[in-house]
Amino acid sequence: MQRNNLILVGMAVLVAVMLFFAARQSRSGQTAGGAPASGPLGLAGQTAPDFTLQSLDDKTVHLSDYKGKVVLVNFWATWCAPCKIEIPWFVDLQKQYGPQGLQIIGIAMDDASPKDIAKFAQDMGVNYPVLLGKESVGDAYGGVQFLPVTVYIGRDGKVINKFFGLKGRAEIEDIIKKALNQGAAAGL
Amino acid sequence: MRDKIGDSNNQTLNTMRIAVALALVLAASSLWAQEGFGTKAPSVTMAPPAAVAVRAGSLGKATLQFRVAEGFHINSHQPKSEFLIPTNLKLDAVTNIAVEKTTYPTGEDMSFAFDPGEKLNVYAGDFEVEVVVKPLAGVTPGKYTFHGTLRYQACDNAACYPPKNLPVNFEVEVAGAKQSPRHSIRNLADPKLK
Repeated sequence: MQRNNLILVGMAVLVAVMLFFAARQSRSGQTAGGAPASGPLGLAGQTAPDFTLQSLDDKTVHLSDYKGKVVLVNFWATWCAPCKIEIPWFVDLQKQYGPQGLQIIGIAMDDASPKDIAKFAQDMGVNYPVLLGKESVGDAYGGVQFLPVTVYIGRDGKVINKFFGLKGRAEIEDIIKKALNQGAAAGL
Repeated sequence: MRDKIGDSNNQTLNTMRIAVALALVLAASSLWAQEGFGTKAPSVTMAPPAAVAVRAGSLGKATLQFRVAEGFHINSHQPKSEFLIPTNLKLDAVTNIAVEKTTYPTGEDMSFAFDPGEKLNVYAGDFEVEVVVKPLAGVTPGKYTFHGTLRYQACDNAACYPPKNLPVNFEVEVAGAKQSPRHSIRNLADPKLK
């Protein structure tokens, strides 16, 4: 009987520990500046949701236009100070890895006018398409409650990872290099 | 024998109760840990403001006290970049009471982990906004409520949150205009008023 009691207590503790870790796991996808996360909807490994948005130069852009490339989708806004830190890195990375098949896309989740967004992008020397964001696109990517949010998409069109908050340049570059190499190794 | 079996059953029942209670306590503590660690939303709250007592035709000052949640900062009223969203108090007009002046505190120049080389002018912790109001001389004495919003945009060390509007309300209690000494003397001198 004593043994049975011990088993019962042990099971209860196990359930509680499992609940604790499950809770932490689900939260990790929503923490600003936290560990890399695949997003609340578990996007990693899934086909990236296609979108249709207008660019600053009034062109209609679909994600599917960049099929076969490694795509870095960066959700940002003119009022987001950490986003302003990343943008010059993205400019450099686009220059450096563009010829190898990287395409960076900025999606402005901004209330500012397209004119102000364009001025900001011009001041920052942005050399990749900047699209005017819609909440529905953010929702399709698991929600954009805060910025920046960066989604990495492989050459196969599947989401590699989704990051919340500012990451270091080296970390970003590392993911890009791996994604480019993965695609090359798979012969895509 | 029956007593022994009964005792044994009771003991098992008690142990099960303890086990369930332990599981609930641990589960609750895990949820508490989840809530208290990194999931709080950026918020700015306002302390209940004291009513401003003022005479018609005079100036009165409302001091509005705000608190930025720990771990977050918001741009000051005069951030250092044209693209940053300043903290701004917008009040709806109240008939016959003018807003003479709104004074924001000077922000704190702070640099953050995401860009140690650049300083942003921000509010963190507690800050106050002062509003000077002036009821017109002819305003009917009584209580008047100002409604408005404090627009702010919050960030933490790695991410920024969309701008928000915090509802702001405060009361102004208007007393009748003070009579000028000259007027009073004339009144006292008037035999009809004696």
